[in-house]
Order: sequence, then structure tokens, then C-alpha cells
Amino acid sequence: MIAALFAPLWVAAGASACGTCSVGDPTLTIVGFEQPQGQRVRTSGTLRYRNDRIGDPQVDGLQLAEQRMELAGAYSPTDRWTLSLMMPLVHRLVSAVNLAEADIWAPGDLELRARAVVWRDRKFAPRHLVSLIGGLEFPTSSIERDADGVPLPLEFQAGTGSWDPIAGASYTMFSDPWSLYVSSTAIFPTQGTADTKVGISFRQTALGQFQPWHFLAFQVGVEFRVDQPGYIQGVRDPNTGGNITYGTFGLIGLPHDKVLLHFTTAIPMIQRLDGQHVEGLAITAGLVYEI
Amino acid sequence: MRFSLLITAAMLCAASLPHCIRVTDGIEVDVAYQPAATPAQVRTDMGYRVHLDRALIVIGQVELLRCDNFVLNWWEIVAPARARAHEFTTPTSLGVPLVIDLMESSGVPLFAGTLRPPPGEYCGIRVVGMPADQDAEGLTDANLDMMEHSVLITGRVEDPASGDVVPLIAGIWEVLECEMLFDRPLVFDGPVLESVNVQIDHTKWFDGIDFALQSPDAVQQLITENIRSSLQAVLPLAETDL
Repeated sequence: MIAALFAPLWVAAGASACGTCSVGDPTLTIVGFEQPQGQRVRTSGTLRYRNDRIGDPQVDGLQLAEQRMELAGAYSPTDRWTLSLMMPLVHRLVSAVNLAEADIWAPGDLELRARAVVWRDRKFAPRHLVSLIGGLEFPTSSIERDADGVPLPLEFQAGTGSWDPIAGASYTMFSDPWSLYVSSTAIFPTQGTADTKVGISFRQTALGQFQPWHFLAFQVGVEFRVDQPGYIQGVRDPNTGGNITYGTFGLIGLPHDKVLLHFTTAIPMIQRLDGQHVEGLAITAGLVYEI
Repeated sequence: MRFSLLITAAMLCAASLPHCIRVTDGIEVDVAYQPAATPAQVRTDMGYRVHLDRALIVIGQVELLRCDNFVLNWWEIVAPARARAHEFTTPTSLGVPLVIDLMESSGVPLFAGTLRPPPGEYCGIRVVGMPADQDAEGLTDANLDMMEHSVLITGRVEDPASGDVVPLIAGIWEVLECEMLFDRPLVFDGPVLESVNVQIDHTKWFDGIDFALQSPDAVQQLITENIRSSLQAVLPLAETDL
């Protein structure tokens, strides 16, 4: 698994290019949104922060604050395929209503994705790309247990501990200085840690980008997520399931030919999550390096 | 290239990092039931001698009560009690039913569980007696009839004046709710370990009853009232009391 994780980086070790130049389009894109170009390799480091509140704050509430450091690599062997791997390191602080706290540091679930461009309007500098996405989340996270060796609930785990297939499609439009990215993905979790089954999750993203200067772009978008309820030992977890819509605002900068910085904040706009479950602000900051 | 090697090394480190979890305990309240030691015979305040053959009680739920909710909770006592098959355990309540055989009690506390309440002021505790369900702790083949009773007492009553001996059978099936005030409020504003003992003095269950004159229904009603008043929530002595 580790070998698979790093294979794209070794394979591409000899490749070199200026990413935004070689694809014939100056649009600044983060990993996953880019135009595939044969032998294009990108690596990235991303920091994410989010917080959740689950349960009745005066009775059985849990507050979760999570920071993730995601290290990723993306390699395009041809101008139609991109393979990417992402390994998260998760720090999670869980606070209970009785002021008890659990502070967890653990590797999360490794994610492998493949993106295939199935249609484009032209070969060089295409303006329209339609892609299919497939992937898999591996149960690489450690399983946290209590003193008796019993796995702790999912809130205390850095990953789901399950094999989760991913499927989706995306459309990207490049029309300098504007660009648009729309994607629909679904995650199909299997049985995970502590006999937990997370529900199927469908995610819809729509991002518009305006790039007035070659080194700076502004993003605004909407992310919609709908989750099926989760089950613990066959019993429905009442605080899972429902849907949520985030408004996102971001910046992408190009301080160096090969280095791209990005910052995004996602604000929950409409929360229709089942039970007592409130999601808070999510912040993402990252660095992409074009090899 | 150097950056990619750096990222590669970092990914390798992330994948192989040992996980660690640090847990800090919060506010915890240990709850125990403490039945009085059972004597060979109970002498009532009216002079009767009660010889017990069986004395069992099922505690279905125990719940810590906030001071600001206490008036509200008293109203719930007045309202008709409702049967609940199996109470949920929450940070302020324990919902695992426990069958207590009072004939085996020697005054030693029985650990019921640990409550993990949020910060606040707590003025009392509610104890609910109810018939056991199949998951109840302490339920055995010998006391399966506790699935139909909150309290079951069998024995005989001896009137020393006349020498008459009459059988005693009291099977209480109704849900018994009892709210008890602490002698001081429990104030939680930071992690702490407290304990509450719920004392059950079944030697007082037969006080005020004239077995020779009162009907079996009246006897059972008085025993029910005595059970409620025999429960007491006791806190350990505060440091200022020592």
C-alpha cells in the first residue's frame, strides 16, 4: 500500500514542466481540478480545520474540532488520465458535556482517485472537459480503543476504518479569466470500525473562478452534501444523515512558477442535518508544487 | 524535485506515524445503592415483628436533577407515573435496571454506575423503581417474577400482643418515582469526581401500619409510601464539614 502511495512520485521523478504553461491555459487550479497533461506531476500539502457539534449540549453533546494535514500527489501519465493519492494526518479534539476531553493524533484513511477525461472540445488548451472519477478510501487509520480493548465510537476515530469506493463525474470550463468547475461524487462506505456503517454520501460542488491577474484568482462556490443515516451495530445513529449546503469563498495565488497557494473558507448556509448535529465553519489552506 | 522528495518523506512519515490518544476525565459522579443490613426480624414502630422471606426492589433509572429544574421535576411526581420499558443512559442518568435482593444486603454499597453531567448546580436525584426487563442486572431464574414487580415482599407478621401470625405478601407493580434533595447543592464548574449513595432502609417499610386492623390493600398502599420515604440520597461530607 505504501509502495502504491509513492509510485506516481517515483515514476514521475524525471518529469519537469511549468504546469500552467504546458497545458496552454493560465488558469490556476488546485490538485484535482487541473487539466491533465502527459507526465504532469503535482504534489500538495493542505491544512483543513472544521468543527461539529453532535447531541444535546446540556445532555449528551459532543464538540469536535478537527485539523487535518493532507499530503497528496497527482500524476498524469497521459493527457486524459490523472491518478492522485492523498494521505491525511488527523488531529481531533473531542469535548464532552462533562468537560472530559479526548485528544487524538492519528493517520487517517488513504484516498486513491483516478480521473479520466472522457470528452474535451479540443486537444490543446481545451475549454471544456468532462471527466469521470473513480476512487477508493483505504482503512489505513488506526483504531482507537478503550481500556478494555473495545473500539471507541466513530467520533473518536481518525478514519472510518472501512473500504469506501468513490464514483463521480466533473465538468470544467476554462475561459480566461473565468473558469467553472462542477462535480458530483458519491462515497459508498462499507462496514467500519466498531460495527459502524456510515451512510452513502453524495456531494455536489459548483465553483466559479475569476482570475484578473496571472498570479491571483478569486473563487466563489457552493458545496452541497446529502448523507444517508449511519448505523451502529444495526441501530440507527439519530444524529447522522440529512443535507447541508456550504457557501465557499477562496483565493489562489501563484507566488512562484511552480508554487501555488490557496485558501478557502466554507460557511454553512443551509443545515438540514438529522437529529442534533450542527456543522461549523471549515477552513482550508494549502500549497501545491508543480514538479 | 527536492520539494517532491520532501513531500514523499512527509507522506511516508504520516502513514507510519504511531497514533496516540490522550483522555482527560471530566465531571464524574459515582452512584451506589446502599441497602440497610437485613435483620432476622424487623420490629415496627407499632410493635409488630416482621419476618421477611423475600424482599426485592428493581431500580430502573437514577437521574441527577438540576437545581433550576427541581420545581418542574416535582410536578412530574404529581403527574401520573408512566411505565418505560428500558430507560436510556445519558450523562445525567443511568438507565440500566438493577434487581437488588435486600435479603442478601449487609449494608455494603452496590455500585450502580457513573454519571457524567455537564457543569451546573444539582440539587437532587430521582430514583425510579419499575419492573425489570430481560437485560436487568441481577435478574436470575430465582427472581424472574421481578419482571412483573417493582418491589416484592413476602414473609409473615407476628403480633406480640396476641401472638397471631399472618402472612405478608406485597407485590407492587407500579412505577415508583422518588425525588430526593441533597443536603447541599452539588456545584460543578470543572473536572471533579463526586459520589452519591442512595440509601434504602427497608427496616422502615412497615412503620405506621396496623396489620391487625388494616386491609391488605391499605397495607400495600402504606408500604408503597414507606418505600418512597425510606430512600435517601447521601453525599460524602464536604471538606468544610470535616
